[in-house]
Amino acid sequence: MLRIFHNTKYEFVKHWRIAAGITVAFIVAGLVTFGITGGVNYSIEFTGGTLMQVQFKQAPDVAVVRSTLDKAGITGSEIQQFGSATEYTIRARDEKQVEEQAAGAEGISKKIASALDQQFGAGNVTFVRTEAVGPKVGSELRSGALTAMLLASLITLGYLAFRFDWRFGAAAVLSTAHDILVTFAFIKMFDIEVSLTVVAAILTLLGYSANDTIIIFDRVREDLKKRAKGESLSAVLDRAINETLPRSVMTHATTLASTLALLVIAGGVIRPFAWVMAFGVFVATFSSIYVAGPLLIWIESKYPRTTSDSTSRAVNAGNDNSGDTRPRKSERLATR
Amino acid sequence: MANLKYRILLIVGLFAASVWALFPRTVVERVKRDGVFVYDTVRRVPLKRGLDLQGGMHLTLEVDESKQAVVDKSEALDRALKVVRQRIDEFGVSEPVVQKAGNERIIVELPGIDDAERAQDVVQKSAFLEFQITDKTQAFEKVMPRFDEIARNAGLSAASEAKTSGDTTKKVGVTSLLTQQSDSAKDSTGKAVATTGADSGAATPAAVAGGLFSTNVQAGQIPGQYIVPEAAYAAIERALSLPAMQDAMPPGKVMRWGVDSLVSGTQRFFALYVLDSRPIITGDVLTDARPSTDPVEGNVVQFTLNNEGARRFKVETGKHVKDNMAIVLDQRVVTAPVLNSAIGRNGQITLGGGTLQSAQDLALVLRAGALPVPLKVAEVRSIGASLGADSINKGAIALVTAFLLIVVILIGYYRFSGMLAVAALLLFLVYTLAVLAGFNAVLTLPGLAGFVLSIGIAVDANVLIFERIREELDHGKSNRLAIDEGFRHALSAIIDTSATTIFSGMVLYQFGTGPVRGFAVTLIAGLVASLFTALFVSKTFFMIWLSRTRGNQTLSI
Repeated sequence: MLRIFHNTKYEFVKHWRIAAGITVAFIVAGLVTFGITGGVNYSIEFTGGTLMQVQFKQAPDVAVVRSTLDKAGITGSEIQQFGSATEYTIRARDEKQVEEQAAGAEGISKKIASALDQQFGAGNVTFVRTEAVGPKVGSELRSGALTAMLLASLITLGYLAFRFDWRFGAAAVLSTAHDILVTFAFIKMFDIEVSLTVVAAILTLLGYSANDTIIIFDRVREDLKKRAKGESLSAVLDRAINETLPRSVMTHATTLASTLALLVIAGGVIRPFAWVMAFGVFVATFSSIYVAGPLLIWIESKYPRTTSDSTSRAVNAGNDNSGDTRPRKSERLATR
Repeated sequence: MANLKYRILLIVGLFAASVWALFPRTVVERVKRDGVFVYDTVRRVPLKRGLDLQGGMHLTLEVDESKQAVVDKSEALDRALKVVRQRIDEFGVSEPVVQKAGNERIIVELPGIDDAERAQDVVQKSAFLEFQITDKTQAFEKVMPRFDEIARNAGLSAASEAKTSGDTTKKVGVTSLLTQQSDSAKDSTGKAVATTGADSGAATPAAVAGGLFSTNVQAGQIPGQYIVPEAAYAAIERALSLPAMQDAMPPGKVMRWGVDSLVSGTQRFFALYVLDSRPIITGDVLTDARPSTDPVEGNVVQFTLNNEGARRFKVETGKHVKDNMAIVLDQRVVTAPVLNSAIGRNGQITLGGGTLQSAQDLALVLRAGALPVPLKVAEVRSIGASLGADSINKGAIALVTAFLLIVVILIGYYRFSGMLAVAALLLFLVYTLAVLAGFNAVLTLPGLAGFVLSIGIAVDANVLIFERIREELDHGKSNRLAIDEGFRHALSAIIDTSATTIFSGMVLYQFGTGPVRGFAVTLIAGLVASLFTALFVSKTFFMIWLSRTRGNQTLSI
């Protein structure tokens, strides 16, 4: 049989300092760009404003488009090419314009449409997509998305706490939180537009990242039962990670195949989603190895297990166990 | 062995049910034929496409309180919902959605609409119809000095000062305008009225004190009608909305603007009407309204009144023969014809230069009744049908590509077992789509992305199991034992995996809007289906293989 990463004995945990250095550097870089350019690039849904995707018969002069809009009183709009040379998106979300939409969200888009129709001739411009969001709806969606993320985090956290003993749970939660943080840094650094779809990607990642960690921790729990006398926790961790490595790589490959197909083929609307997913899947795999494990060791060293209490819970909580609730001697963790 | 038989039966049974659920079927729905919506039978796969995939318009409406606070918003919204729903039903859209969202909003979804502006107009028009007699007592002229004073106190004369020099030309403009444009006057008597109107207009000493009103407002061609040049329109409109102005209004009168502006040469003018504030009747006594084309009048809307309305209309119009009656829609005068005789049950509204379509739309909104509260648009999204079709194509290609890539990875790496996984994956696709069809879920663009993604995640379960089986085989276990152990040990991880992702999906469903909800639904449907295919279907495949080979052959994994 064809095998990759079979019977590997990499010492992952040993390199946690390098890993920590990389991810901290990445997060800091994200924070710095946040500090420099300020704010997240929210989509129209969240900021309120108007987005129009316009198809011109012939490739237009962007300067002409801009001056046409300026003349119509739509100043400060963002005009970007979208896909082909004849297709553009126009975003109008100046404070003034958003405010104007409080009285009726369609006002600005009507102005843009009539201005472009007049400039280029009615048949030569097609408005293939219009999104106009009033300021109230925008702020509601924003708080809704925030609530959704917090709630999903809480539920995931609760589930992890229920499935593992608190040390495992805490390590898994922290590692998942790390993934979300790094993904935010990525979004900020590459200036990805945060729309509801991107929020959906982040929430999916939340689940994906937690589950990656769960799979390794599941194995750690199992290996703890079989561990030889005197084997350190980090050795058990390394063993568990190595054993699950083929799975991690394979799953990563198949999920990546999906996200890459979306990224390359599915078109501009879905592209930010695909970018965030592709990056997030990578980070989830990375963190389940380099972040969750070291965190677990760190927590175990701070709050060592006593022989009687949580060991048995940690080991037996999973339903893969034989049902024997009495901790055997070999399962106990030596106090480190 | 009996166990295996039942397993196979269940899988095949579910597959058959899924195929049946997805089989193109004949449904009656509204479809567009030559630009007109008709009911017809269509054969199609029973999967609903969201607006972003088939094109259309999504409107979120809320009560407009900018003019007037609404006490019981929820109740008002309920009534508005009924009206909007009736209008949409008559507007002719295939499978529209009109629903209340919370206590504040109405959501309208119109698939396949290509004239977004017109659709929005139909939904949003208040359609409050009033019939009011125009003033013939020159009440406006009497209060004009007072109006000027109020405007001056509010500092609202500046806008017109600069234009005073052009006053003479303006007057000429008005006169010629009056002779050209006589469509507001209903018949031959209208002409006579027009001429008198013009005479008196010229005779009025317009620029006495340079006040906002006395300088710019001139009497029009019919009693109670006044003409305002475009330059002064904004200032006068602002002045009229001043609170002090309401007190200075001639008693029992109201002022309303005309619907259209009139053009004469390079100048544009607006008509301002002084009307009896008490309407003869309002739109609620209408029982029917139909568009029609009159050879003389152009496009008109003919209406029918109910018994009580007809009686009142007859009495009132009888009293006002030779007067002008303004037909006021949403506080704007559409037309103000002369009453030649008493009108009973049937009447008509002349639309001037309006198109037949605008007559149709007006008839439609009048039939459905007035909105009890004004509505404003809080959010609008419209997507062209071609963009939607493009999204479907790209999504489908992405789906197939992702699937093929995964097939290559699975078979390349796991060989025979990989083929079993691919078979399970095919079943997964069919089951997931069937679940979506069964729950009447809406497929959106993010939903398609979720579907593609769920393939990747579904494979994870198989990978977990296969890797575990390999390990067990490495430990020297027999095929049968290794497969058993593999499934048993992978179980908890697979359940955890699905659980965490399903939780996120549920939260997303709760907080997301249309397209994102579609994503949440496909993701959840995909995960549920993958639990079944990975844990049950794949295992059954292995069991079949075991029973065929009696476990003697080397397992290709």
